[in-house]
Amino acid sequence: MKESSIKQQKMRSAIVTFVLVVCVLIMVGFPLLWMMVSSFKPGTELFNVPPKVFPRFFSTEWYKQAFANENVIHYFLNSLKIAGIVMVIDMVIGTLTAYSVTRFSYKGSRLLRMSILAAYCIPPIMLMIPLYKIMAALHLTGSHVGVIIGHLTITLPFSVWLLISFFRKLPKEIDEAAMIDGANEWQVFIQIDFPLCVSGVLSTGIMAFIMSWNEFLLSSVLINKEAMKTLTVGISNYISSTHIDWGIIMALGTITTIPVVLLFAAVQKYFVEGMTAGAVKG
Amino acid sequence: MGETTIQKRRLSGGYAKRHNMIGLAFALPAIIFLLVFVLYPVVYNVVLSFTDAQLSTKKAVHFVGIKNYITMFSNKLFKKYFWNTCKWTFWSVLGQIVLGLALALLISRPMKGATALRSFLLIPYVVPAVTMALIAKWVLNSDYGILSYWMQQAGWIEPRQSLLAMKGPAMWVVVIINIWRSYPFPMLIYWAALKSIDRELYEAATVDGSTKWQSFLYITLPQLRGTTAVLIVLRTIWTATYYDLIYMITGGGPVGSTTHLPILIYSTSFGSFQLGAASAISMVLGVLMFVCIVFYLRTGAADE
Repeated sequence: MKESSIKQQKMRSAIVTFVLVVCVLIMVGFPLLWMMVSSFKPGTELFNVPPKVFPRFFSTEWYKQAFANENVIHYFLNSLKIAGIVMVIDMVIGTLTAYSVTRFSYKGSRLLRMSILAAYCIPPIMLMIPLYKIMAALHLTGSHVGVIIGHLTITLPFSVWLLISFFRKLPKEIDEAAMIDGANEWQVFIQIDFPLCVSGVLSTGIMAFIMSWNEFLLSSVLINKEAMKTLTVGISNYISSTHIDWGIIMALGTITTIPVVLLFAAVQKYFVEGMTAGAVKG
Repeated sequence: MGETTIQKRRLSGGYAKRHNMIGLAFALPAIIFLLVFVLYPVVYNVVLSFTDAQLSTKKAVHFVGIKNYITMFSNKLFKKYFWNTCKWTFWSVLGQIVLGLALALLISRPMKGATALRSFLLIPYVVPAVTMALIAKWVLNSDYGILSYWMQQAGWIEPRQSLLAMKGPAMWVVVIINIWRSYPFPMLIYWAALKSIDRELYEAATVDGSTKWQSFLYITLPQLRGTTAVLIVLRTIWTATYYDLIYMITGGGPVGSTTHLPILIYSTSFGSFQLGAASAISMVLGVLMFVCIVFYLRTGAADE
């Protein structure tokens, strides 16, 4: 009698969990799935009223049309180039900085840690006007240098913050042993500590790549040439125009989103590790 | 043990100083970058807010005292946009924290595939804002949008009408999309915090006859207080200053009903070219952020 009621309770709890999970999957999955389905619908079906959830035919015509536009290819390559450079710079400077503040105790190392956290909190809208003024004065709005610097103001503090959590876990005893054997600080870093953290560094770099790839505000302000624009800016121009090519837009949205979701899936383990070990604990 | 003593001796005096100076050198590139491209712009912004600077670099700049601030505060629309900012921030932060906590509780349940579910739920963290904007505009399109179609069929809105074109609902639409985009961060942080709560507390409570709901109310929630405070501070900063989503979905419309301060800053600087006035508006957000950042740093987040 009692055993069966416990069983019943367990059953009920399992059903509730299952229903919740299904609701959540739909909530998160529907918008993205709908975009992808729409991008593969042939022209006539895209504008059916009432809209059909699953198309009868799949077609790649929107993708062909999207890439027939020369600018789209430019946008794609620009985003790739900018995010790639931002990623490399973040990995180099970020690693050196995180190593410095976790391994050495000099005057001001705490101040530096606090400044990095404070910089992490400063949003792009606050830096937009001064950065624009600076880049315009230096004649950098016609190149990608300005926007790369702009993206670094967002991604560098984030990268350092994430990297600190990886370097903090390394035992200091190895360093000390190596230094007694006569290695200098640079050798200890490059030959011992860095190789131990390389997967954390790479994951952080990929997160920086994703942030740069997704960035919109500074990219839209700090680039003034059509052929130099990034994907996010290019697409946003399309969706705010009066005549919108929905099929092309859905295709562009899909090719913008899929790469970052896949990259994120690859580094998620380290991201979760770094974020949850990090400084957000109250 | 013996090694550590030797090490300590070696690290004493001049050697330790030299060692730490080399450590400082590792951080020099970042220090220079932060000084030139973060600190200097922040200070520059304050200076600009007291001038009549224009977008064009050719025009002469004059110091105008607090004129920009007087103009801003005497503008009736500013009050409305400020209020919009509060509404947008309050509901977005509340929504993402409640949803984040609920989902953290869900993925903390002992079940098959919890890790896979967690990975899936983190996806919105990296979905670009522009993607959400184009999906929102598509599903809410007045003629072909699937959500608009369902709502029109149900009689909630008129035929050929869209929520994005209605003054009241437009703000709610952008808030809901923003919650969709931003719950993964609180979810992840709550998930980690839940894991660190001592199991024994729950066991003791169960022995004492407390129900699951009581355990949640009297054990879980109090244990999460510190985490929640930090999350509210961080998310308030990022939400109040977040420009991309509203700009791309409604552009601040219809009739300014979704215009918040970031949109106003942008349109003042790149729409009407008044950089000085725009800097003054951004100082309002700056003060709010300053208070939040100081509070955040005082929680000891920067300490090991």
